[in-house]
Amino acid sequence: MSAADNPLPTLVSMRGIVKRFGANIVLRNVDFEVRAGEVHALLGENGAGKSTLMKVLLGIHAPDEGTILVRGEPLASISTRARLEAGVAMIFQELSLVPAMSVADNLFLGREPLLFGGRIDRRRIRREAVELIAGQGFALDPDALIEDLPFAARQQVEILKALSRGASVIVMDEPTSSLTVREEEVLHTTIAQLRGAGIGIVYISHRMSEIFRVADRLSIIKDGQIQGPFATEQITIPEVSRLMARSAAVVVMKPKARREPGEIVLEVVDLGTARKLRDVGLALRAGEIVGIAGLVGSGRSTLAKALFGLIPDARGDVRLSGREIGALATPPRIRAGMALVPEDRRAEGLVAQHSLTANVALPNLADLTSRWPGVLSWRRETEMFLKFRDALHIACREPGQPASELSGGNQQKVVFAKWFASNPKLLILDEPTAGVDVNAKAEMRALVLRAAEKGMAVLLITSELDELAGLADRLIYMVDGRLVPGEATPRGEEEIRTVLQQLAITHEAA
Amino acid sequence: MTNSTLTRGLTPSPIPAMAAARRAFGWQKAKRLARDHITFIVFGLITLFFILHAPNFASLATANAIGRITAVVSIMAVGMTMVIMCREIDLSVGALASLSAMVGAMLMQTGITPWLSIPVMTAFGALVGLINGLIVTRLRIPSFLVTLGMLSILSGTALTLTDSLPVPIGDRTLGKIMANGTLIGLPAAVWWTVVFALAGIYVLHLSVIGRQMAATGGNEAAARFSGIDVDRAKVVAFAICGACASFAGYMLAARASAGNPSVGVGLELNVIAAVIIGGTSLFGGRGSVVGSVIGAIFIGILAFGLVVIGLSTTIQEIVKGVIIILAVSLNRR
Repeated sequence: MSAADNPLPTLVSMRGIVKRFGANIVLRNVDFEVRAGEVHALLGENGAGKSTLMKVLLGIHAPDEGTILVRGEPLASISTRARLEAGVAMIFQELSLVPAMSVADNLFLGREPLLFGGRIDRRRIRREAVELIAGQGFALDPDALIEDLPFAARQQVEILKALSRGASVIVMDEPTSSLTVREEEVLHTTIAQLRGAGIGIVYISHRMSEIFRVADRLSIIKDGQIQGPFATEQITIPEVSRLMARSAAVVVMKPKARREPGEIVLEVVDLGTARKLRDVGLALRAGEIVGIAGLVGSGRSTLAKALFGLIPDARGDVRLSGREIGALATPPRIRAGMALVPEDRRAEGLVAQHSLTANVALPNLADLTSRWPGVLSWRRETEMFLKFRDALHIACREPGQPASELSGGNQQKVVFAKWFASNPKLLILDEPTAGVDVNAKAEMRALVLRAAEKGMAVLLITSELDELAGLADRLIYMVDGRLVPGEATPRGEEEIRTVLQQLAITHEAA
Repeated sequence: MTNSTLTRGLTPSPIPAMAAARRAFGWQKAKRLARDHITFIVFGLITLFFILHAPNFASLATANAIGRITAVVSIMAVGMTMVIMCREIDLSVGALASLSAMVGAMLMQTGITPWLSIPVMTAFGALVGLINGLIVTRLRIPSFLVTLGMLSILSGTALTLTDSLPVPIGDRTLGKIMANGTLIGLPAAVWWTVVFALAGIYVLHLSVIGRQMAATGGNEAAARFSGIDVDRAKVVAFAICGACASFAGYMLAARASAGNPSVGVGLELNVIAAVIIGGTSLFGGRGSVVGSVIGAIFIGILAFGLVVIGLSTTIQEIVKGVIIILAVSLNRR
């Protein structure tokens, strides 16, 4: 694409970027550019290299090879500060605003204009804030406290903050993930205004329909290589899905039809929560792996937590092996035979500073008492750990080692071990392979299959579509807290992706 | 082999590199041990200083005296360890000790036998702790605020009961049972410290509920996701802490043969300092009852030693504060 095709000047241009982490090549010869007044969408699976590319752009990582040109000039320094001065800023998912301070104070945080004697010039702050807000045509009250503002307005403050520091390129990472539908409209208006002002926007999102609505061009990262840019008018959603799919080599072989589903283990009728879930009904049989496909934020984790009794306002019938447990708290549900490998291993799965033995024992304390009532048997505890250390090949130094010292993959195995040890009837897995390396992923997937072969009913939530395609016996789809009908036995990850995108679009239309 | 626990599961290897690696492990373990117990090393050094510089410091009489002095803080520290283990705090223990001294003394005036009054007072403390725990867990108010309020309520009540007059205890047996009597050469106060420490070890380090407290403080979300009733663990910790504080307050009354409404003022600070010096993490999840008792004894030795070497009580307070901050900063992790 030459300059003749498009009169807009290029603001930032990354050429031939290579980034390695040890022996691992994360970015291979990536070209990426942003023009003034365009929205350039960046797509890719988790771990494809999206965030690494953005960190290189923002100066958090130095590229091993390649150049970055800002308005045609090569960047001398790689520091974040230099990048800010060059006009690249990122709007974070977790906004970097002080909730208890006003909009105006937040805009000038850290660079307050001073009066004689070091007093803050509040009048000037307010005056300049009003000018800034008016300059972008936002409907913001400069005196409002951030904590009183809706999320979309906070995003506007973030954007203003970036602009007032001279940003001409703004990176937005999943900007709609926390927004309501109405707020999304506000954001889209904001983006249109920025575009009109000649700001270049990098737009990262999983929602394809949104990308096609907002973006002018899109690029796709897969396994560290970039494809594109494509003009959004000249490409279709199925074509993009195909480009995003990983090579066939990664897909686990599917040992279908080896397991006979047994009797019904889990039966859910009309499960709902105040905020997220609506009328969820499903049934799982012993030895069956059922995958839940859905986009980030569709309520899959909420469903997992609601089934596990962790959401107090959940209402509905939950039967485990015929026993009604919908009104029970978590401990009796675990005793009834439920297990949950949670989404966030470090925050929810492990007590990181405690020993491996103690972590595996935690849900099973009642089974580990000695002859004395209420007293733990250290011997039985250690035996339990050693048994599962060997069964799951947990690489560790000693049973008393703190869980924090293990690698991500081994930590996840410890989480699996603690629930395998409880011998559950139903195993709920929420992103079981998130943040572990490729080999550990394969081991984790083998564990899931083994659980099903042992006769557990497995409910699998994962954003990795090849995992869904490779492991699940059948799929159910979730959009905005509801289960929606869809192809239960799709042929591969591409088909899952297409179904998901279509469901998202039909749902938005409805 | 000294480091057999580390090498368990490895077959003995003739390869020198492995032996070297194992030695390195031993050295690392020693270093880790030193780092984990740095406060105890400092404690030992300071005690050594007193032994060398204070006349007759190293004697059984001194040990008995320190044991008697520190019993109150030691016993309260046992309960406080459980609360801090859960990543909570109880600031009301000193005020509860005052109130218990008063209520206990008034209870003795009704003519109840001392042996019965002790469990009654302990139960009274457990009840107050239970209320603390229920407010913290049910209303989701930070324990710092709940127990700060409770401190005020309890000390106010203690003063109001008799219009801030002390209540004498006529019965001599109570003083003997709780503080001054001796058994096999050791004062009763020391025996009670041992009893509470053993009970604390049993609850915190051996039993299921103790493990639940540790998990609650270590990572509340993970504990909840593992089916631990974290609220119950906290309530139990607060109740035990209250029971310990009340017993200790009653012990103070028994020792002085009178209930004094301000006898426990400021004790909570010594108790918390003892727990933290003893290696329990203020951020929960890690700690030990024995450490807390050692911490309490350390504070006692410090106070006693400073008197013996002739520092005035006012300067003592300053030195004590500095050493406590130093000890805790060394132990911070």
